[in-house]
Parts: sequence; C-alpha cells; structure tokens
Amino acid sequence: MTAAAPASDTPVPAMAAGGERGGVMTMVRYALRTHRWAFAGVSLIGFIGPYATGASYAKLAATAAARAAFGRQTTAFGPQLAYLVPLPFRPDTVAGYLWWKGLTWMSLLVAVWGLAAATGLMRNEEERGLMETWLSTPFSRVRLLLSRAGAFAIAALGAVLITALGTAAGLAAGKASVAFPALAEQGVSILGIALASFGIGLAAAQLASTRRSALALGGVVMLALYALDALARVNPGLDGWAAISPFHLADLTTAIVPGGQFAGAATLALFGIAVVLIALSALGFRRRDLLASLFGHRARQTAVVRSASTFPLVRIPVLRSLWQQRIGLAGWVIGSVAGAAFIVSIARSTGKLLQSASGFKNYFTEAGTSSATTAVVASVWLSIAALIIAAYAITQTSHWASEDAGGRLEMQIAQPLARWRVVVERAVTLVVAALFMAAVGSLVTAAIAPSQGVHLDSGGLVTATALLALLALTFGAVGAVVISRLPRIAVPALAVVAVVGFYIPLFAPLFKWPGWVLDLSLFHLYGTPLTTGVYWTGLWVMVAVVVVGWGVAVAAMRVREVGS
Amino acid sequence: MANAIRTEGLTKDYGEARGLFELGLEVAAGEVFGYLGPNGAGKTTTIRLLMDLIRPTRGRAEVFGVDCQAHPVDVKRLVGYLPGEMPQWGGLHGRDVVAYVGGLRGHIDPGRVTGLAERLELDLGRRYREYSSGNKRKLGLLLAFMHPSRLLVLDEPTSGLDPLIQQEFYRLVEEARGEGTTVFLSSHVLSEVERVCERVGILRRGQLVQVARLDELHHLRYHRLEADFVGEVPVDAVRALDGVEQVTVEDHHLSCAVRGGFGPLLQVLGKGQVLNLVTHEPSLEEVFLAYFRDAPEKPPAPPGAVA
Repeated sequence: MTAAAPASDTPVPAMAAGGERGGVMTMVRYALRTHRWAFAGVSLIGFIGPYATGASYAKLAATAAARAAFGRQTTAFGPQLAYLVPLPFRPDTVAGYLWWKGLTWMSLLVAVWGLAAATGLMRNEEERGLMETWLSTPFSRVRLLLSRAGAFAIAALGAVLITALGTAAGLAAGKASVAFPALAEQGVSILGIALASFGIGLAAAQLASTRRSALALGGVVMLALYALDALARVNPGLDGWAAISPFHLADLTTAIVPGGQFAGAATLALFGIAVVLIALSALGFRRRDLLASLFGHRARQTAVVRSASTFPLVRIPVLRSLWQQRIGLAGWVIGSVAGAAFIVSIARSTGKLLQSASGFKNYFTEAGTSSATTAVVASVWLSIAALIIAAYAITQTSHWASEDAGGRLEMQIAQPLARWRVVVERAVTLVVAALFMAAVGSLVTAAIAPSQGVHLDSGGLVTATALLALLALTFGAVGAVVISRLPRIAVPALAVVAVVGFYIPLFAPLFKWPGWVLDLSLFHLYGTPLTTGVYWTGLWVMVAVVVVGWGVAVAAMRVREVGS
Repeated sequence: MANAIRTEGLTKDYGEARGLFELGLEVAAGEVFGYLGPNGAGKTTTIRLLMDLIRPTRGRAEVFGVDCQAHPVDVKRLVGYLPGEMPQWGGLHGRDVVAYVGGLRGHIDPGRVTGLAERLELDLGRRYREYSSGNKRKLGLLLAFMHPSRLLVLDEPTSGLDPLIQQEFYRLVEEARGEGTTVFLSSHVLSEVERVCERVGILRRGQLVQVARLDELHHLRYHRLEADFVGEVPVDAVRALDGVEQVTVEDHHLSCAVRGGFGPLLQVLGKGQVLNLVTHEPSLEEVFLAYFRDAPEKPPAPPGAVA
C-alpha cells in the first residue's frame, strides 16, 4: 500500500515550509541523527586503525632490509589467516601492510555497520511506531526508504573520508606517500561495500517480520558471502562463485599499494548490488504491510491460551534473564566455539611458521612460552575470546538501556522487589552467561588441542576462563555506571573503552608508552593467564573496578527515578 | 476507617511550574477513588510517587501507614499496579510475561490468571508484539489483578479497551471493592469515574483543587431549560430570579440554566403562553468541563510560601 499523493488543493502542513524537498531533507536529517553514534565509532576506528598501522610499520621495519624480511615473513604467514582476511599484497611496503592489516578489516567493519543500520533503522522504526507516523504524512514509502538510504550513504561517505585521512596520516607516519586518486579509489571501494551491505540489510528487512529476525537473516547472508570469499581464497575452484561476494569485490581493489590496482568493474558491481537491492527493497516496502514480512503468511489457527507459562525457567532469578536471551546467547556460544576451533586448528602450522621466522619470535616470547603453537592458542584465541566477551558485555549494556527506556524496569520495581536486586541480577546474569561462553570455548580448545600437538595446562585454562568472566563483569560495571546517569551514551562509551583498550596493547610496546597507559586497557589487565599466569596488578584493578562500579550502580539504582 | 493512601505536602517539582505541588490526600481503605484531571495535571506523577518510581522533592506518602519512600518493597506487597504505558515486552508470549511478573512477586494463582484471561478475552498464547493496544491493556489489567492486593493503583485503566471489556473491568472493580480492596484509579474519562467511584479528587496544574463524594459534586450540577412561547417571553422576570443563569432569548425561544428548585421559574413562565418546555441534566463531563474552564488558573505556590 502506498501513501496517496495529495490533491493539489490539499493543505500539507508538514511540508508547507519547504515543500516535498523540505520533507525529504527533514527525513534525511532525522536518519543522519540516528547514525551519529555509529558514524562516530566507525570514523574513530577508521582513523586510528590505519594511522596506527602505518606508524607501527615504521617501528617494526625501519630499514629496507628489515622491510624486505618483514614482507617475506608476512607473505609466508598470510595463508594461515586466509580464512579471515585476504592474502597479503606487497607487505614489504607500508602501504601494502596498511591495506592488509588496516583497510581489509575496515571493509568488514563498514559492512557490519551497513547491515545493522539497514535492518535496525527500518524495522526499529516500525516496531516503535515511528514508521506509522512518517507514513501518515504525505510522504511516499519509496521516498522514505530512499531518504534513509541517502542518509546512510552520506554517513558512510563521511566515515570513508575520515578513513582516507587516517590512511594518508598512517602512510605519512610510515614515511610513504600516496597519490590522491589512489586514495580516492580505495575509499570508493570501501564505500561500495558499505552500500552493498546496506542493500542486503534493507532487502532482509523486507523479508523478515521483526528487527531481530531481519538482522539474523541479513547476518546469515553476509556470513555466507564472507565464507564464500574466504573459501575461494584457499580453493581456487570457487573463484568464479566468489564474484557474487561483496567482500571479494572489495578485496580486489588495492589502489594505495605500489603496483596495486583499482578494480573498476568490481567496484561498479558493488554499487550495482546496492542500487538493485535498494530498488527491490523499495518495491517490497511498497507492497508489504507494516510490521509484516513481504511474504507473510496468514497466522495459523491455534488454540487460545488462558494460562500462565508453567516453564520454571521463566520465574527463577537469573535463569529467567538467560532464558529470555537464549537465542542470542546460543549465537554467542556458537561464535565462541567456532573461533576456538578455528584458532586451535591452525595453531600447529602457524606456530611452526612463527618459530621459523625471527621477526615473529617476540610474539610468543612475550606470551611467556617457548612453544609457538601454545603461544598461538594462548595469545590469539584468548585475545579473540576476550573481544567476544567484551562485545557480549556491550550488547548486555544495550539490553539494560532498552529495558530501562522500554518500561520493563518500571514494571520490575513496581513489584515487591528491592531495587538492588535488579542490579545484582543483571551482574550475575552477565557473569553466568560470560562464564558459560568462555567455558564452552575452553572445552572445545582443550578437546581439539591434543590433535594439534598442543599441550595446555588445565589449571591455566581454568584460570584463563574464570578471568574472562571477571573481564565481562568489569566491562559490565562500566556499562552499569554509565547507564545509571547517561543511558543514551552507555553503549558508545563502552564501545570506546573496548576499542581503545584493544589498540593500547598493540601499540604501546611499539611506541614505548609507559606501563600505566597499558593498564588503562582492560584487555591488558586480563593478560595472558594461560602461559604467563595471572597478572595480579590487572586482577586487582579489575576487582576494584567491579566492586566500585557495581557498588555505584546499586547506589544509583536506589535513588534514581524511573519513568519520569 | 484507616487510610489506604495518605499524602502530606507531597511535591514533585520539575521546574517551570510542572509537577505536583503540596498534595494532601487521604483515601479510605475499601473505597474506590477516582483521580481526575486533564493531561499533564500530575495524575501519573502522583502514582509514580506512590509506587516509589520517582522521588518527591518534599513531603511524604503512605500506603496503609507504610512510608512509600522508606519501605517501598513493603508497599508493593500490598499493591496491584497498572502503569499508564505498558512496557515493551517484545517477543515474549503473554503467558511468559504473566509467569515472569508472577515470578518477580514470588507466586501465581493459576486459577485466578485463567479466570481473568477468560473474562478479559485475552489469548496468552500470542506474542506481546502481536497484541493490539487493547490487548496490551488487557494484559496490564491481568497483571494488576492477578494477585491478591489491598490496594489497586490503576493509571488510565480503560484506555484502549472496547466497551464490552470496559464493562468487565467495571465488574472487576466492583468485585475488588466487595472483597475490601481499595481502588485508586486515574482517569480523564468522567463517565468511567461516575460509574465506579465513590469519591473523586480533581487535579489541575499539579494542585488538588477539589476532593468530594460524587453525590456532593452532583450539587454542582444544574439543569438546562428550553422553552418555546406563543407570544412574548417574560425575559426580565426570568433574569431577576435567583439561581437562573445564562439566560438567552431568540425569537420566542428561551434557554437558561437552573440551579436548585424549578418552582419560582415555573411560576414566572406560567405568566406567558408556553408552547413547549424541555429540561435536561448535563453530564458530569459537562459539569467538569465548565469547572475547569471557569476556574481561575493558580500558579503553584513557591516552596515555603504561606497559603
């Protein structure tokens, strides 16, 4: 159903000031506002990542000989990570290394942003009733959808421009330069994958009936396309199929690298995918009902239920919260298991390579072991597990914020339930879920490790797993404090803590930052407990953050006003 | 009789004359009390203060003698609550929401839940997001009524309900009163208040302007009289009468409002040749509308001011 065009003599108050163009601009401005936090986050990473990568390259390989050696080692190491990122291209140059280590991840990041923006924006507005309001104005559905796509394109372009600035700054820090056209071509490629991903998300939003199912559907499609690209890298027989993957199309452009190329056809294909999918989505949006799938079926006739659920998990504290997020939690656990299995499966071959390459020796000596294979498991897997745990804690913070804003908190504390119990239940739920995810990942690691010739200390593994739960509780403490005062910025604030904390340990040794800077990173505080044992300073700092943070959250919950 | 609700100087000052000011209110145990006022008058603010969802700027509130701020959990054990806006339960089924809230309270009476679901014609097998606004309201009522409570605090309870379910709601309130439960309901639907309440408090711009029994408020009422004459209308004689207001004459048609008895007016009208005479009683709604329209606007008293 489409909004009918108003008759020429019909007064149109909403657009009286600026006519239909004014209405479009209003919609674009509104949509841009919804992107502001994601834009800030992506731009921040887009600048810092490439800059720091370029700057660190100058430290890692200061001379021509060192660069040549580093390039050989990275080229040899690259295939180990071919399931995750493209093969290195000219890593003996700062631009090549920056493309491989900085911009390929950036493509992945903007793709996730595009997907989340498209599914979240459209479906979230429908679920909150905003879409009904927009469509009650004399504004067609197609125009509305295009205004949303236009706003994302503007936001993505801004983030890409900042990424380009970061790239130029990184190259300059690495004592290299790049021509403006090459930088622009690389940026256009990244913009292309952002828009293509937005298109995929928008199409998924027409096929699903809820925001979560749209995100899940779009996520599965994106994951499949990512996997197709990854498989094609290690299996040339799939190369033809990989051409349908936006990730593959984006990876083909290496314009900033000496001897690299701008894959014009591939980039055009990315924009083509975006245009086609956005157009199809517009057609779908015109045809479907609000809050329904394009191919929605009639509801099945089911017996009327007049009784409360007797399922016990719905009523038991902590378990009821875990049960409500069971599907999402299953996804997180599957992600942890897949990550653990993948890292352990490549540990032996990667370890051998590291052992043979003098340039990488510091990676495992810093991990506190003479076995490079163990170092891969201890450092790489547990670093990834810590990131997964941090990301989970951020989603939980987002969940708490929506509980507070959506009236659930009001309903909870309108029951005979002390306010502190709400905070404690949140903390316990977080730690139980994180412990479960970490434990399953560790069990998989322990089960697969012997087949790879990796012998892990079971005590160390238990300690590392338990500390992951403490790490989650630490992130949660920060989130709980921010939520009690500034709920709207809690998620971005926690994301900044995570991103900055992730980069600090990477660059502190290279730039010889003092130890206290390292201790600002929660990931550094977690340490490498599997191989070097517990980092006690970090442990006590985390315990202090947990005690103070959750204590403040409890105190704030006791006095805060709800629903005012 | 003990008070179910008692407030003293209860104030929530949001600034710019918004909020609730110096509320002194007593609701007796076992009565059904209507809390009336236009949008933004402070009805929901009062309810949220009673439920300890927000904190007073000054003053205190008690439920059955228990301080709402000092012992909120004890208060909530006594209260069944329907919020003005239903929470977003998302994809949870209705039956799960009932079990969840029941779990927060510690127990559920399955028979009571089933009985309420049947009376409210609510299918608990559907997901919350699939509910219409009326069904969401029904679920809220079920959650408020599903456990035994001494006080029901209901914020705009019939908003979005169809007339049949509204009738069922009125019966639920009657039954609750029969069991000795106090009901405190906010509304701006006067017919609803007229139907179920014994007393009402009228709130305007954050201040309680009147508390009265409904029959006392009926004394505010007047009758409107319309009369058609064959000849001249004795308009001067009518205007001279006490208790006769808003007199208008158009051609041979007289219209006026009459407070108190009709005797003196009928005597005057008898001097003319009346062709047709009609009287009707305005609804309570019209009475309140006239009240709110005519009452002078009083700004809230500043802290410490002497009335």
